[in-house]
Amino acid sequence: MRTKQEYLISYKDGNLYCKLADIWIDPSKPVKKALITHAHFDHFTFGCEEYISTKETAILLKERVGDNIKIKTFEYGEEFKINGINISFHPSGHILGSSQIRFIFAEEKWLISGDFKLQKDQTCKQYEIVKTDYLISECTFGLPIFKWDESSKIANDISKWITNSPEKTSLLFCYSLGKAQRLLNEISQTNFKGNIYSHGSIHKMNNTYRELGIDIKDTIKIENKKKIDELKGSLILLPPSLSKGSYLKNYKNIQTAFASGWMSIRALRKRSGYDKGFVISDHADWDGILEVVKKSEAKNVFFHHGDSEALSKYLVEKESINVLFFGK
Amino acid sequence: MSLKKFSELFGDLDSINSTNNKIEILKNYFLSNDPIDNSWAIYLLTGKSNKRFISGRYLKNLFSQIYEYPQWLIDTCYLKVGDSAEVITLLLKNKTNFRKKELSNISLNELLSETIPALSKLNEEEKNLEIKNLWETLPEDNHLIFNKILTGTFRVGVSIGLIIKSISKLINIDEEIISHRLMGNFKPSIDSYKFLINKNINLQELNSKPFPFLLANAIEDKIFKNSINDFQFEWKYDGIRMQLIKRSGSVSLWTRGQELVNESFPELVEKMSHIKDDFVLDGELLVWNFKEEIAFDFSLLQKRINRKSPTRSIQIKYPIIFIAYDLLEINGRDIREIKLENRRIELEKYFSKWQIKTENNISDIFKICDLIFPKDWPDALNYKEKSRENNTEGLIIKKKTSIYSSGRKKGIWWKYKVDPMQLDAVLIYAKGGSGRRAGLYTDYSFALWKDKELIKFASAYSGLTNIEIKELDKWIRKNTIEKFGPVRSLKPEMVFEISFEKIQISKRHKSGIAVRFPRITKWRKDKKINDADSLENAYELMKKIS
Repeated sequence: MRTKQEYLISYKDGNLYCKLADIWIDPSKPVKKALITHAHFDHFTFGCEEYISTKETAILLKERVGDNIKIKTFEYGEEFKINGINISFHPSGHILGSSQIRFIFAEEKWLISGDFKLQKDQTCKQYEIVKTDYLISECTFGLPIFKWDESSKIANDISKWITNSPEKTSLLFCYSLGKAQRLLNEISQTNFKGNIYSHGSIHKMNNTYRELGIDIKDTIKIENKKKIDELKGSLILLPPSLSKGSYLKNYKNIQTAFASGWMSIRALRKRSGYDKGFVISDHADWDGILEVVKKSEAKNVFFHHGDSEALSKYLVEKESINVLFFGK
Repeated sequence: MSLKKFSELFGDLDSINSTNNKIEILKNYFLSNDPIDNSWAIYLLTGKSNKRFISGRYLKNLFSQIYEYPQWLIDTCYLKVGDSAEVITLLLKNKTNFRKKELSNISLNELLSETIPALSKLNEEEKNLEIKNLWETLPEDNHLIFNKILTGTFRVGVSIGLIIKSISKLINIDEEIISHRLMGNFKPSIDSYKFLINKNINLQELNSKPFPFLLANAIEDKIFKNSINDFQFEWKYDGIRMQLIKRSGSVSLWTRGQELVNESFPELVEKMSHIKDDFVLDGELLVWNFKEEIAFDFSLLQKRINRKSPTRSIQIKYPIIFIAYDLLEINGRDIREIKLENRRIELEKYFSKWQIKTENNISDIFKICDLIFPKDWPDALNYKEKSRENNTEGLIIKKKTSIYSSGRKKGIWWKYKVDPMQLDAVLIYAKGGSGRRAGLYTDYSFALWKDKELIKFASAYSGLTNIEIKELDKWIRKNTIEKFGPVRSLKPEMVFEISFEKIQISKRHKSGIAVRFPRITKWRKDKKINDADSLENAYELMKKIS
């Protein structure tokens, strides 16, 4: 058996790191070379000398942070070599451009799942099952209380929520990249035919998605000084950061909701301060994580990004899968 | 009408903050459902359904057993969710492959009047099988309601006042009347619902029911600008607020929680039934120290509350008294609309009449409250400060010209409570909260110094703001010494000001003292743990009071 120092991928300063290639994965501090799984800000930091990602991730990132970064891009499935290690991106189904990253060295396969989901999402490529020896998986929702409904059902609930209160302006809070576009895509297939407005940060991402060939319903960019009456009965998409503070004072007679996997827990829903919670997530639920662990055929699994204690114990006891831990 | 509709109602009420919208939704629900389902809905929403058919633990064990699910995994999930019924509901979502294709379209009435009561007649094996069967045939949307009713934990953010308002709007009758109709033992039935929404007001059928209680507000500064002569002053007793009713010869005793408690206090019912007049009195029930003319501690009253048909020896050991504050109705005449000062005159008049003319002596079980006459506001403050000496909690101040309306009406009655006692203590343990506070550490234990050791003296849950709770939660996670299940022992570092109402010797606690209603009143970030109080300070406090 090898000691943990000999693992191809290790945990260093809170980040995943491949020593042999001297390359970091989604680092939280500036480094020389960074592989980026997707364009969410909690997976990106300024100041790296070189970034490597899929084409879509690169375009989304540049749209968000400007052209001043050096990004090398590869297609899904296209292998490239660094220090003798074969590396490739594979769709992870999280958002547009999101990827799992596979490493092959001396016939040993490692797979970093990145943020992923298995559910259908017409705004990005479906999760690809990739076989591996070692799997490093996220486990944001690693408890069996998390079980997602079909997103079309949630979209219908949202549509009903809006149309049942025609006198109100419905504010739906969601992450501006990924979740917003997925919701727009789903909502446009429901009975709701009213106006949809979106906040500037979301509007910008909608356009980028469209440029990348994704079918996203046209929305109106929300102006701060819009007359209130015009918004009655319509839907406004806003980033969660605007739910606290004075922004909401711009509106009268509103109802608010938050679209997130966390909304499945009543206590969190109550504490969040939104009127309503819609349970829809771009991460895998419990069953999704188990499915990926099994189908990847990994003999050894690591978890990060979440509470992995219960999940690990379950896999060891029930599925006899070897769960490993990075030293802190 | 299906249970599904009620589940939807629950979902709507749970996700709407506006009171007006809630009333509208309730009104529409009542309009579109059967009377019998409506009566059950009211029964559930007013919190009268707290009967526990099975415990949360039982529910979790059952799920674990049926679906061969590890108990520890359910427990881990519970820590996140904080409610057994909800955990099982969420876990059932994973069991769709067990679902029957033919789903049952059971009504709220069937579920509550037949299905669930029938469970208690079954043996354990049959009961478990029946619950499993219900889980697998009820539509998924109904699981939460079902599990919550089963475990007696059905609660939703709707006050009784809101139900009253929506029925009042539905039939266009005053809220007071509806409130009156809803008082007491509301038993779900077609008749009880029809009675509730009856547009004809019949005094006869309201006979044994109490009036809605009028409640006092916390003292406001503006009251001190008024003349002291405008107010009536009474001691604030720490007993059970009640209405003592005698109409058409029969006596009923109602608590503010709308419970009829005749059976717990038969000696009072018996004595009062000898009085010739009919009446409705508002007052307080206490266990009374007749020698010293003061109330005994509330803990003695607790020995009487839940005991039905108490023996003679219990009656002697814990002698009760009803202290009347107010006369609301006399010989069929509702006098709530006349001024307090005039009602007081009537009360005194009838009391002296009853003392002389009643066959049995009533003074060993009934009196009217003594009034206090402070000469000015500073003097009122003096009375308030002395209230601990006669085991009261402070003063009740009532406007002499006020009429007896209902609820916590502003600007007529105030409570002027004695300042709480306080100690600065060190946080030593924290435990995960439940319900709304699930996933956060919100149950705290505090300690005082004894020589160089910290000894636990009180636990408190309330008093911090949501922001402080989050901040403290973060600190707790970083400063845990040891975990014992849901409890963490913590690095002694944080000092809090703990307020409480009463302090007494207790052999059950290691500290040797017990406090009543402990709560956090300040996070003393300015204090180091060496600045915290000692047990000695607590004993001194106790001496000062007794």
